Amino acid sequence: MPALSQLERLYDEQAQVLYAFLLNLTRDEADTRDLLQEIFVKLAREPRLLTGVREERAFLIRLAHNAAIDLIRRRGTRERTQENLAAELSSLFAPAADPDETTFRHELTAALAELPPEQRAVVHLKLWGGLTFEEIAASLELSPNTAASRYRYAIDKMRERLRPLYEEIR
Amino acid sequence: MNEFESKLQRQPVRQLPADWRAEILAAAQAAEAIPHAATPPPRSSWLQQQLTAFFWPHPKAWAGLAAAWILILALHLAMNDTEKHPVLANQNLTPRPEVIVELKQQQKLFAELMGPREDRVADRPRIHSTPPHSFRQTTMAG
Repeated sequence: MPALSQLERLYDEQAQVLYAFLLNLTRDEADTRDLLQEIFVKLAREPRLLTGVREERAFLIRLAHNAAIDLIRRRGTRERTQENLAAELSSLFAPAADPDETTFRHELTAALAELPPEQRAVVHLKLWGGLTFEEIAASLELSPNTAASRYRYAIDKMRERLRPLYEEIR
Repeated sequence: MNEFESKLQRQPVRQLPADWRAEILAAAQAAEAIPHAATPPPRSSWLQQQLTAFFWPHPKAWAGLAAAWILILALHLAMNDTEKHPVLANQNLTPRPEVIVELKQQQKLFAELMGPREDRVADRPRIHSTPPHSFRQTTMAG
């Protein structure tokens, strides 16, 4: 079984990345907390999961992705509506002092919420997770080409969605 | 990465709430402390244990017994197949041509031994369907 110190180390090194990733996928802070706890509880109960794992971050992102996708599937249509409402409350981004930046972050959060979860996951890991397409592919069990094409589709949609605001504030 | 993507990337994501750390790690530690034996073993494992305890001491003997039963079952099924198809079974009872020839020869020989049909009729004791000779003569004279 992993010692508490190992769990603590994992938490300190990876929890921020997992938190932002889960928040982007779930759009809900309470769900994000539940899923993050679920991951660490799972690691504590099944220490074999970490045996032989070379890339801890990629492995934990895969666990987080699977948990988030399960949660999204469990939600019904009615709950998806609530999710859209929650998206406005649970913004992915830190508050900004500049009103233009605040508006942009708000619109960016909304644009991300409109993406399918599989595209959102790739965009998040590429832009805010700092992963390469190869690392994203390994984390989400995709081919690198699929990861790259999902990223391109998503960026095109977001550019189209945010173009007026982006042109205005840059 | 173009300017638009760089702009997106520069947006700072929210920080993980600091108070979650203690709560999540405490929950993980508590889960770690719960022994897995608390959950009841599945039924299949009990059954598996019983079967293993019964069969394991002499696996070759049990395998031999099973093979014998399979052989018996196969023979039984094969015999049943013959019984279930009387037409096929009857086909085996149809006499062959040489047997028929033999039977005809025997019939002919039997007929020769018995003699022609007229002879046999002559040999038979007569049954008088007409009145006796003396009675006939008396009637004509009268």
